[in-house]
Amino acid sequence: MARFLALLLVLLASPAFAQSASAQAVVQTENVRSELVSEVAAVKAGEPFWVGLRQTIKPKWHTYWKNPGESGLPTEIAWKLPEGAKADPIVWPAPMRFDIGGIINYGFKDESVLLVRITPPANLSGPLTLAAEANWLVCEDVCIPEEGKFELVLPSGATATPASPETRALFEQARRALPTQSPWPARYGVSKAGDPTLLVEAKGLKADAISDIYFFPAEWGPVATMAKQNATVTAEGIRIPLKKGDAKAAMPAELAGTLVLTEKTADGRVKQAFDLSAKLDPAFVPTGASASLANAVGAEQISLVQALLFALLGGLILNLMPCVFPVLAMKAAAFARLAGHEQSAMRRDGIAYTAGVLISFAAMAGVVIAIRSAAGEVSWGFQFQSPVFSLLIAYLFFVVGLNLSGVFEVGGRLAGVGQGLVSRGGTTGAFFTGVLAVIVATPCTAPFMAAALGFALSQPAPATVAVLLAMGLGLALPYLALSMTPALQRLMPRPGPWMDRLRQFLAFPMYASAVWMIWVLTQQTGADGVLYALGGMILIAFAIWLLRIGTGASTGTWLRRGLAAAAVLLAFAATLKLDDSPATAASASGGAQAGVSFDGWERFSRARMAEAVAEGKPVFVDFTAAWCITCLVNERVALEVPAVRKAFEQAGVVKLKGDWTNRDAEITGVLKELGRAGVPLYLFWAPGADRPKILPQVLTESLILSELSSIQQAKR
Amino acid sequence: MSKLNVPRRTLLLGSAAIVLAPAAAFATTSPDIGKPAPAFTAVDSNGKTWSLADLKGKVVVLETTNHDCPYVRKHYNANNMQDQQREAAAKGVVWLTVASSATGEQGHVTAQQANDLTKSRNAAPAAVLLDPQSKVARAYGATVTPHMYIIDAKGTLVYKGGIDSIPSSSAADIPKATQYVRVALGQVLAGQPVADASTRAYGCTLKYPKTSS
Repeated sequence: MARFLALLLVLLASPAFAQSASAQAVVQTENVRSELVSEVAAVKAGEPFWVGLRQTIKPKWHTYWKNPGESGLPTEIAWKLPEGAKADPIVWPAPMRFDIGGIINYGFKDESVLLVRITPPANLSGPLTLAAEANWLVCEDVCIPEEGKFELVLPSGATATPASPETRALFEQARRALPTQSPWPARYGVSKAGDPTLLVEAKGLKADAISDIYFFPAEWGPVATMAKQNATVTAEGIRIPLKKGDAKAAMPAELAGTLVLTEKTADGRVKQAFDLSAKLDPAFVPTGASASLANAVGAEQISLVQALLFALLGGLILNLMPCVFPVLAMKAAAFARLAGHEQSAMRRDGIAYTAGVLISFAAMAGVVIAIRSAAGEVSWGFQFQSPVFSLLIAYLFFVVGLNLSGVFEVGGRLAGVGQGLVSRGGTTGAFFTGVLAVIVATPCTAPFMAAALGFALSQPAPATVAVLLAMGLGLALPYLALSMTPALQRLMPRPGPWMDRLRQFLAFPMYASAVWMIWVLTQQTGADGVLYALGGMILIAFAIWLLRIGTGASTGTWLRRGLAAAAVLLAFAATLKLDDSPATAASASGGAQAGVSFDGWERFSRARMAEAVAEGKPVFVDFTAAWCITCLVNERVALEVPAVRKAFEQAGVVKLKGDWTNRDAEITGVLKELGRAGVPLYLFWAPGADRPKILPQVLTESLILSELSSIQQAKR
Repeated sequence: MSKLNVPRRTLLLGSAAIVLAPAAAFATTSPDIGKPAPAFTAVDSNGKTWSLADLKGKVVVLETTNHDCPYVRKHYNANNMQDQQREAAAKGVVWLTVASSATGEQGHVTAQQANDLTKSRNAAPAAVLLDPQSKVARAYGATVTPHMYIIDAKGTLVYKGGIDSIPSSSAADIPKATQYVRVALGQVLAGQPVADASTRAYGCTLKYPKTSS
């Protein structure tokens, strides 16, 4: 008992106990619990220490930063201190952004600790009394000004005594929430229109590792807080185009603020905040350049309903795009076969085909969602960036072609190969024709599809599924309509021997498609790809031949079957060889010979584009891929015709080509910024323009010429 | 005339895109000082239609309001707003209070409520415009209540910003603050340029309709 009393005495005498015993300054208002806390339990005369106003904010409500944004008010603390004591201004934690019906506010939610450094009087004797009146505005939809009076009495001694570990932990945490000084120099320039652009010279940042970049200006006035900021990471650093604010005063010599960004590190996403002050650089007159990509003329911001409509239209138009031709050929063949059949058979066929298309799109939506949740990013046609996929599709085209040629008929013995299912008559065949149509359609982006896809890939799962299904419905619609409408069917020619001839003829587009896929493969892997693909095709043809030369259950038949299986396995083994072939690595790292033709074109990079635009040159950017037929057709009929080439030259256009045949994070980033999920994409910067114009996905010679002549006229 | 060369397909796609173009999202820019003030037409609490075009030749003040907003209350409880409304009326200025809170939001008023408020607060605007779809507020890029605008006799926007210079909810600050609107009105009526033509507006966030845009 005596020991206990002694302990109690010691505790009572210790300053830490004194502080916790004296009521801490806590004010509970309707929406915020506020507490004035000190990092020291006892102060030393003249020695500065830190206090914090810790505010716990009701869920969904927020208080404000030093620059509150378009509305709101910063929290203020008015100190009443003894003679000779000093309180520094509030040191603010990094703010967050709140969007209230389109009005942008800067502030804090859940909990914030506003730190203030206090310097006690040099001649302090006895306790130090800190009195403060704080007022803050707390808002959800409605705003409520609240206030509180705080008092904290701290004993003084020969040395300062730290507060309890919990309190010190709170301060540690508060310091982690503060922005650090930016390690990079920053400057800013003002465009002719008066809009500032901030350049943080953080060289060597990886563009794909940095996201959610936002600059919180320290003051109301020079920068419009409501405008969207479309920051980009380039070779020169972080570039943030801003909009001028409402202050009438000239732009300040130094633009101060807090830069917040999220960095993808090995340990996950880390939010970083930096205080910086950018000097006005009169020589830096931003022209938009890479910065204002998202303001591109023609970049669509669309709603779900529009996306669904665009998807349906896009799916319909997809039927007319070159990449679906081979499948349409098959469909036409199937239809011809069905011609003259009963109405119900036709209808069943149409429904089965539609189901095949829709289920494939649904499966694709599933894959997209899965990849997105695993990898965070996904693009249209991404599967064609894999050489394995290209090879398998080449095989598929080849086998379907052989079937159409009549090399083999399917009696269910080759089941397991997609082609077998496709060429099987009746509903199963129709279903798998639908599946095949979707597989080959993916490298195509039809008009309207681009916007819808861009939307779909960036939306939550239900919207992604809905948009992709709408697209599938569009793709299946013409055939579905045909199979459902007897009047239309009557227009079909009567069945006859011509049907077989047509079918055999249609094998040739299939072979052509296989050739194209092999070419794509060579772009991805180099010349070795041809060896594996053609060798694989010989093996497959060999297997088919083996299976055809005998039926029955004789030993020979079984032997042949075994051999055939081995041949097919060997053909597929080529895919393993492909994946780790050194050629893949070489082309993936951007070997000069890889990808599409760069004759007369420069390789695209953001930095090069920014540079050319800044020089006031007209710039044309072609985002393309070897597996994108639409891209290649556009090049052939519009971009590479002599008249256009000459016009480009005369206008002094800088021609940049982005090759997306293989994965390329920079190009994927640009596509994403423009709300696109795939190629083709064409950008045109008129000289001195501060934003590019997005040209249609289907180019024509006259379209390009008229674009170019419009800048010629502007020049005069 | 090079446009005529554009093939039909492209034209077709182009026009479809225009038709389907989304409605403009929230205007992120407020009108510029020295430029024609955005036109508007709105009905007041007595059923009268007001159009900015009809007010040419008169100086016009716009005041966005939300009677439940503490900052609006600050200036009404202290009679600062009413005093300025009366001064303006005496000088032939048309002072329009605009109730821009969307239907169902804080500060939304019916015609009857608006008239009751004018009476109970002894306010003296030329009219209280009902703006339940926040159209007037949007046209002017108003972000808060009260957000103040002055339009000169030629229809030019000459002032936008706050009612005064001390952003607080305390009425005690009113005498200490520069009354921006009063000062600017004096300058406009004296034919002088407005010295502080764009100031920081402070108050409650304007209650725009909740849409997904």
